[in-house]
Amino acid sequence: MPAPRPQILREEELLAPVSRYAKRKGFGAQFAELPFFEYRIDLYAVSKPSGETIAVELKMKNWRRALHQAIIYQLCSDFVFIALPVAKAGVVDTAELSRHGVGLILVGLDRRCRLALEATRSSEVREYYRRPYVEMLASA
Amino acid sequence: MPLVQPKVHLRLGSHAEKEYVEKTLKRFDGLIVGGNLLEATPGATASLIVKLCGKTSGVSYLIDPMTYAFGAYVDPATGKSRADLDWIKSDQKVKGQKGKVVRAIKSSYQKLSGALDTVFSDACSTGKAVEPSGLASSQIRSQVAEAVLEYQMTRIRDVFASDPEYKDIADEVPLPAALLAPYFYIEPSKKAEWSRLSWLLAAEAVKKGKSLPVHAVVCAPKEYLSDPTFLNDVVAKLPESKVAGAWLWFSRFDERLASELELLNFKKLVSALGATMQVANMHGGFFSLALSRHGMSGIAHGVGYGEQKDVVPVIGQSTPTVRYYLPPLYARFGVPDIERCFSALGVTTPKDFFQKICDCVVCRGVIASSLSNFQEFGERHYSTPVSKRAAQTPAAAKRCRFHFLLCRLRERDWIADKSNEEVIKHLSDSAAIWKSVVVQDLRDGAAQVERWGKILGTV
Repeated sequence: MPAPRPQILREEELLAPVSRYAKRKGFGAQFAELPFFEYRIDLYAVSKPSGETIAVELKMKNWRRALHQAIIYQLCSDFVFIALPVAKAGVVDTAELSRHGVGLILVGLDRRCRLALEATRSSEVREYYRRPYVEMLASA
Repeated sequence: MPLVQPKVHLRLGSHAEKEYVEKTLKRFDGLIVGGNLLEATPGATASLIVKLCGKTSGVSYLIDPMTYAFGAYVDPATGKSRADLDWIKSDQKVKGQKGKVVRAIKSSYQKLSGALDTVFSDACSTGKAVEPSGLASSQIRSQVAEAVLEYQMTRIRDVFASDPEYKDIADEVPLPAALLAPYFYIEPSKKAEWSRLSWLLAAEAVKKGKSLPVHAVVCAPKEYLSDPTFLNDVVAKLPESKVAGAWLWFSRFDERLASELELLNFKKLVSALGATMQVANMHGGFFSLALSRHGMSGIAHGVGYGEQKDVVPVIGQSTPTVRYYLPPLYARFGVPDIERCFSALGVTTPKDFFQKICDCVVCRGVIASSLSNFQEFGERHYSTPVSKRAAQTPAAAKRCRFHFLLCRLRERDWIADKSNEEVIKHLSDSAAIWKSVVVQDLRDGAAQVERWGKILGTV
């Protein structure tokens, strides 16, 4: 019988699983802690084939704060998600996320991610914010 | 209440802010300079005052004697009362002993204490704060009041008189508009003693019969705004001192975040005191300006906002970003937070921005022909090659500060001929537009503006 996986205790522990998940989905060019004005986007990634971008805000529990930040990131990313430990899934109001077009990624104890809610393409993207990030990641 | 045209005083925090003051002060009503700044840079500060507040300028000035700095305070880290003056100390290098530092009173406060009175210089030399018991004798209170008033009346003139090149014009140096009585922070562990002392010192200062009006400073924690006993005490005792005015300074009272009770009690206090004296908020914003319909005569603040101030600054914080002042909500927010709301508000062109957000000359110059230029208010960079975090560029901070100062002038001028009802309607209209935006912080800002309107309408 495999040993039980330890609990996710810190927000940083969410990054590696979410990063792997994003890569599997084709978002291979990635930048963690990307500055956006006073914010730092936990994970920003570009799909080189499609040119589409995602931004992910990681949180241990305060999904409302994550939603606030995700809404801001819709200025610079095509799709925006929040990522939480799966144990916190029950407290999230997915209807609220859906209303804002923000997706939800849940990270399990096995460190695998599950897409609980698709993000919808942001209609608020400003090319003057998005383009420099895409160019930076394309040249990395 | 008769319509009062509120005055706005700028407070000079440091000489790094000189440019803002030099460029805008003639349109404001006055300048406030702290005694510690005056003692740190006497020549530069005195010259600036004479240059900007000379007889032909029409701009007045006040010197804040900062006497509270030598009293007890509450440590923001522990919440405990301290009487060791540590917050006006710094780690100072010991000359001739490499690497050795001692914790000592900052030189500006050390010099100020010497220029005021032995009560203050003794506190500095012993490292023990002035206590109410140290001012129990009326003779000492009288001596302190005399010294503190004289300091404000003569210090600028003395700076000129001591300079052979300028001594001949010393007598032409303008006097301050008013004198501040000695004041201390009404620290909670000795609330009754500090309160009583505050009123006694105010009365003592008035008794001196100086040629200038004497104002008191009520310096207390914001929690006292929820304390009817304290507020009643102020209303009953302060007018007995016969001061001509009162500056209210409730530490950490931020009208943009304050509760309904705090705002209401603040308004009641202003109304009650305003019946017998001029009342101003030492660190206030638009709500305080709007209280000019209820007895407030003016406000003061710094150039980079300063619309609220802790008596004891929190040490170790990084330099805060100067955020964009959003005129419809009378508060500052991050650039992306505001921009995220543009489309829902119908702001899609520069013209929309100028109509719905701000059309001051700074905004017109920055935005020019593209809404994308709004980001320049939040521009960031890595200030050194080893910086780990990007910080706001000095240019962006400057844009935000000048924009704010122009907005404040406009607010003061706008409110001058508005009735209370017109102000309330204006606030209500603004809140209605912004309370459904997608960004929570801005919705909260709109709710606060709505709250202000409600309080202004409360009889």
